[in-house]
Amino acid sequence: MALPHKLFIHSFRKRRLGWFFAALVLMMVYLATFVTAAEVTLSAVTLSWDSGVQSRLTVEIPAIEDESATPQTERAQQALAILHAMPSVAHVSMVSEQETLGLIKPWINQPDLLKALPVPILIDIERKAGATLTAEDVRQALKSALHDVRVDDHANWLSDLGSFVNGLTLLGLFLILLTALTLMICITLLCRSVMATERATIDLLHFLGADDRDIAAHFQRLTISLSWLPALTGFGGAVVSAMGLLYYIRNFADTALLSTSHWAYIGATVLAVPLTAVVIASYAARLSVLSTLRSAP
Amino acid sequence: MLLQFEKVSLWYDDNRTVLSDIDMALPEGGFYFLTGPSGAGKSSLLRLIYGAERPSAGRLSLFGQDVVNAGRKELMNLRREIGIVYQDFRLIPHLTALENAALPLRLAGADNEYVLRHARELLEWVGLGNRLEALPTELSGGEQQRVAIARAVVNKPKLLLADEPTGNVDDETAVKLFHLFDEMHKMGTAVILATHQQHLTEKFKKPGLRLKGGRLTSPMTKVA
Ligand SMILES: Nc1ncnc2c1ncn2[C@@H]1O[C@H](COP(=O)(O)OP(=O)(O)O)[C@@H](O)[C@H]1O
Ligand SMILES: [Mg+2]
Repeated sequence: MALPHKLFIHSFRKRRLGWFFAALVLMMVYLATFVTAAEVTLSAVTLSWDSGVQSRLTVEIPAIEDESATPQTERAQQALAILHAMPSVAHVSMVSEQETLGLIKPWINQPDLLKALPVPILIDIERKAGATLTAEDVRQALKSALHDVRVDDHANWLSDLGSFVNGLTLLGLFLILLTALTLMICITLLCRSVMATERATIDLLHFLGADDRDIAAHFQRLTISLSWLPALTGFGGAVVSAMGLLYYIRNFADTALLSTSHWAYIGATVLAVPLTAVVIASYAARLSVLSTLRSAP
Repeated sequence: MLLQFEKVSLWYDDNRTVLSDIDMALPEGGFYFLTGPSGAGKSSLLRLIYGAERPSAGRLSLFGQDVVNAGRKELMNLRREIGIVYQDFRLIPHLTALENAALPLRLAGADNEYVLRHARELLEWVGLGNRLEALPTELSGGEQQRVAIARAVVNKPKLLLADEPTGNVDDETAVKLFHLFDEMHKMGTAVILATHQQHLTEKFKKPGLRLKGGRLTSPMTKVA
């Protein structure tokens, strides 16, 4: 049977302690939710990139200024023929000039310069599933006909990007861990302060036959009742901020790529943050009260 | 045996002996006045019984169980068989009379419906049936002490300890409160009531335990 809610609630609210507590939970949950939301969304977006471009390589045939050389389109046809003949290649397609210009455009602001620029020809290659075909293999195959091609393996920059995202993820996890620890420490201090104020009442409860666990459970329930609303508020604020951020970086991380199951995963993970915060807060309260009571004479 | 003291001594940190070599054995169900001048050690002796203080020397057992070496859990179980009434009432200011009286039952894990019904019955018994929802600040000293008595006996304790329960009320109220303790005694609860107000104890013919200079001086302490 629970102790009455009103028993210590006044001490929690004394000297604005309740407001500090609410603000603390709100900020911690805001931070943790925001970091988690950014993290899971980013990793979902990179995963969806992965499945699209992992299996692709791009051949770049540079434009040659020299008029006497073999025309560029002819060189491209030669390359296409060689690539088609390779057993590990599933599909080959030439990127149209329009598309190539589209890829360059964001990097060059002056339209005049863009027109004057020698535009390379790009050829997309898709590996057969399970085949090992490296950029070097392709370069070797093309060498006899075209010695100056560049071959990009998308797996390479994806793996670089992957390490970057992994690094960010680790940093994010570390931040979340720090947030959780800060929350636990603050709640321990709060409970100790309330226990000091309520020393006489706690002694009295013991004389009336209270178990340490009754008192700890009471602090635990008080913590839950005081933290769920700030936790949800911090959560709501963080979700709004994260959506704003995602909109801002929409060109870099396009969330339109994400499937419903991705969104379900993101939603569940992010929603777990305020719930976990309340659980952590309540157990921090319980354990700190128990250990304080046990160390008392 | 209700309570047994064997060569119990108590001194606080300043090494001044407050109780020395107390020997006593009290059978179950009695009513005892614990008397002596202020500072004689009455409160200290009661605190030893409910485990708020440990004796500096000697052995002490309650309901046949060793109190000195009791762990937290055993002490808790012993305290659930004791009711305590203090001079300063010690009601919890934010709780109503009903909630205050109900606390020990809640702590003992009784179900809500029983807790409230039984606490209400006891407040009716002490004459506060119409003040159930009053906060302690809204009650007179005598009324507050009635709530405290209801709280002390709500668990049907085997032993009721009272430390100057009438120290903060007028004599007329005090006599009424003494009658409540007497009623509890008649229903089978042992009572030890500490007081220095001799003019009150004289009205009730009860055996006395008299403390003086840290020693028990009354003749009836050596019950075999
Ligand atoms: N916690 C304590 N620390 C030190 N001395 C105490 C403490 N409690 C009581 N005393 C001393 O012990 C003596 C007996 O006190 P107490 O048991 O309260 O007597 P009574 O209840 O008979 O008035 C007094 O001299 C008092 O000053
Ligand atoms: Mg006293």
